[in-house]
Amino acid sequence: MKILVFIKQVADSEARIIISADHKSLEIENKYTLNFFDEFAVEEAIRIKEKFKDSQITVCTFGAKRSIEALRTTIAMGADRAFLIDNTQYPSENPMVVATILARFAQQEGFDIILCGRQAMDDENAQLGSMIAELLSIPHISAIMKLEIIGDKKVRVENEIEGGRATIEVTLPALFTTQKGLNEPRVPLITGVMKAMKATIPVIDPLTLGLTKEELDSYAAMMHLFSYEPPPSRPPVKIIEGETPEEKVNKLIKILKEDAKVL
Amino acid sequence: MTNNICVFIETKDRSVRKASFELLSKGKEIAEQVSSQLYAILIGYNISSLTEELKPYAHTVVVVDNEALQEYRWDTYGDVLEKLFKQYTPYLVFGASTTTGKDLFPRLAARLKGYIISDAVGITLDGTQVKVKKPLFGGKILSWFAYTGDRTLFVTFRPNSFAVSKGSYQGEVRLEKIECSHDERMHIIGIDKGGSKKVDLQEADFIICGGRGMKGPEHFQVLEEIADIMHGRVGASRAVVDSKWREYDDQIGKSGKTVSPKLYIGCGVSGALHHTMGMDTSKTIVAINKDPNAPIFQYADYGIVDDIFTILPVLKEKLKQAKGEV
Repeated sequence: MKILVFIKQVADSEARIIISADHKSLEIENKYTLNFFDEFAVEEAIRIKEKFKDSQITVCTFGAKRSIEALRTTIAMGADRAFLIDNTQYPSENPMVVATILARFAQQEGFDIILCGRQAMDDENAQLGSMIAELLSIPHISAIMKLEIIGDKKVRVENEIEGGRATIEVTLPALFTTQKGLNEPRVPLITGVMKAMKATIPVIDPLTLGLTKEELDSYAAMMHLFSYEPPPSRPPVKIIEGETPEEKVNKLIKILKEDAKVL
Repeated sequence: MTNNICVFIETKDRSVRKASFELLSKGKEIAEQVSSQLYAILIGYNISSLTEELKPYAHTVVVVDNEALQEYRWDTYGDVLEKLFKQYTPYLVFGASTTTGKDLFPRLAARLKGYIISDAVGITLDGTQVKVKKPLFGGKILSWFAYTGDRTLFVTFRPNSFAVSKGSYQGEVRLEKIECSHDERMHIIGIDKGGSKKVDLQEADFIICGGRGMKGPEHFQVLEEIADIMHGRVGASRAVVDSKWREYDDQIGKSGKTVSPKLYIGCGVSGALHHTMGMDTSKTIVAINKDPNAPIFQYADYGIVDDIFTILPVLKEKLKQAKGEV
């Protein structure tokens, strides 16, 4: 089984983010981590390999050089190899550009299963999985919470749908996006960390994947960042005082009715 | 390419979801600005009766009623929408950033070589430039993107991003006969919508959320009762879900759902960053916690510092009265 896992290195939720004076760029504190939902993708790949020993797990990201740290984390967990498609020359966050690059990588590598997190924590786009599947003309299943290989080239999954769960059988090759609840991602062992530190992670220039700059630019040109702004700040909390619970609740209801007008 | 706007209508339990009316209301505002046509796109099976409530909200209600569309699947729905959008060539397509919207629109945008912005919370027209507002980094940053492309722009919006206005069109209903194909490689074996909760968490106007301070699953009963009175939903913090007191579907926050109800009441919720990232766009936030230093009070509009177990029964009675008076 050839398993590809696409991951993203994202700013930690605790990282400080400062908006530049011209509101056109962000300065992000140097605290990055493997995207939360991608951990389930890596873990699931390892679990498949534990059952089907001749599997190979390849992890790939399109990102800045620092993303190599997130790739090392996946090797420490148990991935076999990792590739960084370096975005330095082409720093696009444009989802169609990223999807096109990763789909091209998948075509070159070959695959039976592609796994990735259901969304990234930084942009919360939830776009790449199904876009890559479309570009590769393979089925995708979003937000899976159970995966079982039930035969040659056949997988049964359970996934989150509107208001419930579905059980779906899919013929491989296919792409799955992973949701919390699928598994419990492992903490790397020290031997894994040692292996990851020594691992060679090839760096790929996206323009060597058979894509032209014009092709990528045609998407990138459609959208530009206009500005960043901080979220509107809330006035300080109004603590509702009272002698008894009744008095407090009565005051609260009055405020919600008359001031906030939400009752 | 026209300058028309298509809104994809989502349904639930044989009625149009509130999120779709929000999108139609915003769509109307923009359609009037550029005198374009507003289409409500309603697809499914046995749904023709829903056109009545949609007529006031669009110039045209386009209906595709086909047995193959009974349950949502990206392949069948995507196939029909692809054909419709090739026919109507809209400049803007609005959808809701729901489980369905997240599954469907990126794939469709890639197929139609369009452009997509997901999980947006606002949109304006600035001359001929479309500007879309979207939170990043769990709401720490708001970004505005300007679209200058000449292809269809798909935008999915978080439910509760826009108010529902009163519909004033007398929309025409147009039945389109469209055959749809499905992907042979994918078979749905079963669908479980058991315990179908009354309101979708992301769509709820009212959410009462329990945190670790609720002390155990049995105490969520009173929250359920309050949610019922308010026609809202019970939410839960990550600690509560990790302790298996509530299902993951109820989880609000970074690793759960992002919500922005009109009124959010947090009960025994400490207000850790991963939780507040999922609820800080709520219109009014009330926190009830016995610890006056709980971080949730930094996000709340109103706070009660007291034991939740003495406040909740009183709150339930008073909300019942307040609802009764209306």
